[in-house]
Amino acid sequence: MIIKNRVYITASTSISCAGNSNEELFLNICKCNSGIKNNSNFSYNNNPAIGVINSDLTFDQNLIDQCQKILENSNLKNFEDTLLILGSSVGGMKNTENSYFKNSDYKDIDINNHNIQTLIDVIESKYKFYDNIAFSTACTSSANAIGYAYDVIKKDIYKNILVVGADSICHTTVGGFDALGVLSNGVCKPFDENRDGMNVSEAIACLLIQNQKTSNSIEVCGVGYSSDAYHMTQPHPNGSKNAMMNALKCANIEPKNINYINAHGTGTMANDTSEASAIEAVFSSEVKVSSTKSITGHTLGAAGAIEAIISSMVIQNQTIPANNNLENIENKNINLSLETSKEDVNYVMSNSFAFGGNNCSLVFGRVK
Amino acid sequence: MNINLEILEASFIYDKNDIKELNTKELVPKMVTRRRLTKAAKIVIYLSSQINSKNERIVYGNAYGELKSTQSILSSINAKEQISPTVFQNSVYNTAVSYLSMLKGNTSEIMTVSSGDITSLNILKAGAVKALDGDEIVLIVTEALNIDHIEDLNKCIDYLEVGVALKVKVSKKEKTMNIDTTNNQKYPASVIHMLNIAKSFDKTKQNIIEITL
Repeated sequence: MIIKNRVYITASTSISCAGNSNEELFLNICKCNSGIKNNSNFSYNNNPAIGVINSDLTFDQNLIDQCQKILENSNLKNFEDTLLILGSSVGGMKNTENSYFKNSDYKDIDINNHNIQTLIDVIESKYKFYDNIAFSTACTSSANAIGYAYDVIKKDIYKNILVVGADSICHTTVGGFDALGVLSNGVCKPFDENRDGMNVSEAIACLLIQNQKTSNSIEVCGVGYSSDAYHMTQPHPNGSKNAMMNALKCANIEPKNINYINAHGTGTMANDTSEASAIEAVFSSEVKVSSTKSITGHTLGAAGAIEAIISSMVIQNQTIPANNNLENIENKNINLSLETSKEDVNYVMSNSFAFGGNNCSLVFGRVK
Repeated sequence: MNINLEILEASFIYDKNDIKELNTKELVPKMVTRRRLTKAAKIVIYLSSQINSKNERIVYGNAYGELKSTQSILSSINAKEQISPTVFQNSVYNTAVSYLSMLKGNTSEIMTVSSGDITSLNILKAGAVKALDGDEIVLIVTEALNIDHIEDLNKCIDYLEVGVALKVKVSKKEKTMNIDTTNNQKYPASVIHMLNIAKSFDKTKQNIIEITL
């Protein structure tokens, strides 16, 4: 297969606990203003720190609103020639919970409003797309959606792709991570030796990915996939190392070309130790690293998409954000960003890792 | 774009309620691992053994996720009880194929598609895109819907447990079979495209389908 096309992010929008626009999001990341707050609405025995979108609209209404904003900021008249790729880990779980908790039975549950496809149905209730596909690989869902977009544009199958990463907060995810003992009751502290867990969060992040650049585009330069083949929830550094190396190979660049890594950095003991070890093995100590999850929380299936937007804005603003809430660095062999700083940034890597040892690293670059 | 795929291997299994002959004890000798497997994981591991699968890239999919785990989680939350950590880790849509990767030591790219009624069609499409790179790709779809009170949720599916696996590669030859979408026996719509291909597969002939993207 002769690879000829280049792949560009030409527009993006997001809504999360860290801001109702990309601009708010990036400003809050650079100023270390966390959107994480204690909230007992999704836990019966705990008051975990989580990230909830601050909006008068419902999650579904916000989903349509974000797509409308993308359309308005794009060179498209409509989405009729566009492939919709969704990445989500919970889909319509919130709908199922609302029905089940009301009656304690299954009679009012609509299974077709439960699954991942329900979010595509919401979007397609307003917009017509050429085709659609959804990926659900837990916390790598929307990173894999971007990877698929890269693949189909590179191979000249599609010209326009709308990637949507979307996960709403629900009892299942808050309670589930609580059961695993990895929820923090404060703002998470990625890569700190005293970190005590993660912040479950929600977000919608949309990226228009095209084969033609427009002004202010960011290039998707490569994608690297791997599987740990090790454990359902405990990561293995070889898996993340392989994903990063595969992404570099795909982008045809060397580790020294990467200026910044937006780490998966959840704030859990297992992830951060493993990821730092993998970064140390692949990169020199010069590349700056930070996790932005202490500002956005871990948006699960939306994380890859929202962190792709953050990575794009790092390049557009030539600004590397600090790793917020870092006091005692656990792994001193990686170059964690201690304060937000203006830098020359040509290439950024964004890491996403998930349950089942599913790994995806993406490389973004400045358009030259 | 049209991409032609040659079906190299095919296997399927289904039951109206509970698929029993999955050979799990032999395929997963470690009891500690075996006990954690979901039903979909057992089906995936069985199907993988039937198609001479090694460590190919895999596109897996299901429409409804791990319903039994989801049901257990909802019951626990409703009863204000702690969720089982194992049940939670087994609730993600990529659970079944992740167990396969662990069992086989498969460190390749493994995707999970969930596209409602067109899940198996989208697995074929994603598989065709991946297969353009020249390697053999394994495609697997499962549904394991046999949970308590399924009659409250399901009004139209007769076969609650179904799994299909295909091994494919890109072909430059003309298609030899169509993708039939007939579903007279009321399987989950999410499996039907791949199930009908597997049912029509004839090992003595070339089996080539055309995927339109």
